[in-house]
Amino acid sequence: MLAELNGYGIQLKPVAEPHLAQLRQWRNSPYVREQMVSSDIISVAQQNAWFASIQARTDQQHFVIEYRGECIGAANLKSEGGISIAKAKTLEPGLYIGSERYRSNILAFAPSLLLIDYCFEQLQVARLQAKVKSSNTAALNYNHKLGYREVDKESNYVIIVLEKAQYESSTATLKNLLSRQGK
Amino acid sequence: MNNTELLYKAFSSALNIELDQVTPDLTYNTIAEWDSTAHMVLIAEIEGVFDVMLDTDDIIDMSSVAKAQEILTKYDVGF
Repeated sequence: MLAELNGYGIQLKPVAEPHLAQLRQWRNSPYVREQMVSSDIISVAQQNAWFASIQARTDQQHFVIEYRGECIGAANLKSEGGISIAKAKTLEPGLYIGSERYRSNILAFAPSLLLIDYCFEQLQVARLQAKVKSSNTAALNYNHKLGYREVDKESNYVIIVLEKAQYESSTATLKNLLSRQGK
Repeated sequence: MNNTELLYKAFSSALNIELDQVTPDLTYNTIAEWDSTAHMVLIAEIEGVFDVMLDTDDIIDMSSVAKAQEILTKYDVGF
């Protein structure tokens, strides 16, 4: 069973049935849809079928992001070619902040830091790869601050990769600020 | 220089913007100069000026100049 991840003040919890309505609402919002490869509206039936399918998949992991007990977004990991996440050397992370309150906030980095730590430290992947719409400058800037570098372009997309050394050198200060203990 | 002036000067210096651009309503990510990198510089600047160590929740909550003032009062900085 997929474990819960904790760090940087947030939790990544495996997606469960009670999360689905909130996730569908965010996924169907213009803000999130315009970042997705498919911008189609997702129906309840489609989401239920997706949720049933991911229970048995080892090549994908799906989380909700919680901050102070509130669900604020979603994150996932996928491998290519059906390879189990546990055995993959390259993974593709995905993430969005659904809660408008935290979208333009430094907290938006916390789930990425937690997910990337998990990939490099627990899953021992060699690198992460993502495909970002070339028009999505906010996402490209965000990923650049995490240490991603551009390696290719495909039609309207930019392919970016992240290796552990670059990630660590790019995020040391950010990690320090987001992992201080409360008073 | 009072604490409000010190705070505004800290914002101006950390974000590399003119002092008259610093207003209570100035908010994270609403100007190009206040991005995540600048936010880290800003936190260091504020901590240095007021000799405080902010915790993570306060670093996250510090999303505007007005909010910075509110948070600093918790650390016994008077405005």
